[in-house]
Amino acid sequence: MTMIQTKKLSKAYHDNEVLKSIDLEVRQGEIVVLLGPSGSGKSTLLRCLNGLETLTKGAVEINGVRLEAGMKNRAFKTNLLQIRKQTGMVFQQFNLYPHKTALGNVIESLLIVKKMPRTQAEQLGMKMLERVGLADKRDAYPSKLSGGQQQRVAIARALAMEPDILLFDEPTSALDPELVGEVLDVMRMLARDEGMTMLVVTHEMSFARNVANRVLFMDEGVIVEEGEPESFFRQPKTERAQRFLNKINQH
Amino acid sequence: MELVFENWELLFKGAYYTLYIAVISMFFGLFIGVTVALARLKGNRPVRWAARVYVSVIRGTPALVQIVIVYYGLVDYGITLGPLTAACIALSINIGAYLSEAIRGAILSIPKGQTEAALATGMTSWQAMYRIVLPQAARVAIPPMGNTFIGMLKETSLVSFIAVPELLRSAQLLIARYYVNMPFYIGIAIMYWIMSTVFSAILEAVEKRLSKAY
Ligand SMILES: Nc1ncnc2c1ncn2[C@@H]1O[C@H](COP(=O)(O)OP(=O)(O)OP(=O)(O)O)[C@@H](O)[C@H]1O
Ligand SMILES: [Mg+2]
Repeated sequence: MTMIQTKKLSKAYHDNEVLKSIDLEVRQGEIVVLLGPSGSGKSTLLRCLNGLETLTKGAVEINGVRLEAGMKNRAFKTNLLQIRKQTGMVFQQFNLYPHKTALGNVIESLLIVKKMPRTQAEQLGMKMLERVGLADKRDAYPSKLSGGQQQRVAIARALAMEPDILLFDEPTSALDPELVGEVLDVMRMLARDEGMTMLVVTHEMSFARNVANRVLFMDEGVIVEEGEPESFFRQPKTERAQRFLNKINQH
Repeated sequence: MELVFENWELLFKGAYYTLYIAVISMFFGLFIGVTVALARLKGNRPVRWAARVYVSVIRGTPALVQIVIVYYGLVDYGITLGPLTAACIALSINIGAYLSEAIRGAILSIPKGQTEAALATGMTSWQAMYRIVLPQAARVAIPPMGNTFIGMLKETSLVSFIAVPELLRSAQLLIARYYVNMPFYIGIAIMYWIMSTVFSAILEAVEKRLSKAY
């Protein structure tokens, strides 16, 4: 079953075309890693999928709900909310709410969006914090948590809405090296969960190799190459991907 | 100076009116301020434009002129307001413009990622505004709003012009009765100063608490 699909998706900022007619398909349960040099449009693509960016041309379809460029405002809004309820997003900078505790962050949308009673929301929220190993931090404010812990709370916040799809935009790039592992561990655990579809922008090659079912390589707004992680890393077909991998391996 | 103490009752009554007008205007000004700030940030084009014009006009004209327009000007249209009501309306409208600027600035200072995180978990943009952005913006806005309030406390002296018996007006009445100026003026200056200082101290304490919270 197809969970994520884009059809001739284009995105331009003024005259600058950042995504160029992208056709993407991700099946249910697939773990897809999106690679590419800085400025190639990875974040923009992810953000188009849950409507944080408007589409310039083409369409996005998430679990059967469609967003189209130039769609009527009313229909667009309804579909947008529906899509956002099915997708969770994890950001490079965590974006935790600083005025709420860890648990408060996790349950906020359960209370506001799902209108869940507080006790029930807190129960579910605690379950999510347990999943990311942070039950003991329920009352801690984000400023009192390490970067790795903050990102795990952010993952718990996304999980609490029980999405079918998780979008990760460089979830470990802002972390000190010694904190990367704990976040990747949580992501691995999620990947093992049946049914969760994940689209992950990351430069963590080990994650891409060991966890992903498929790798997409993007450059200048185009998906240049895709393939199984092993073959992609061993023998990239395109010259652009080769150059990119060489550069990464030097670091 | 004895005259000042002998007439403390009248002067304290004046101080009461001064505080009363300042607090009431601040309260309604806050409503106006939040509304106008949101109108400027989230309204459609005509709404944004109207909000901008309001802020620009209020900030670009003297408060005293605004007060006489509300008190004397509206009479031409059959709207007769008591001096106290007119004072509160005029000053609410006045302070609302200044507060809206402080609030708008505070809202803009909250990182976009906060809104995006809220939207990504399914909130509407209004829910994101009320639940996530405004609570954070409020802390940012409190210091400038406190300063606006202290400014307002002094600005209330303008409404003596339309015979509201606030502090300055009380002094003027006493001066007319006793034919001495200085003691009364000095007396009310001290009273203004004390009120401002007290509120500054309160504000400072609040700011201190805010700075170490979260
Ligand atoms: N809001 C914006 N306004 C104008 N241009 C933008 C905007 N956001 C992104 N861009 C441009 O779009 C292009 C793609 O940006 P994007 O953030 O998607 O790249 P990326 O692949 O995620 O890069 P990175 O690895 O640095 O995060 C860049 O050239 C960027 O300058
Ligand atoms: Mg990016």
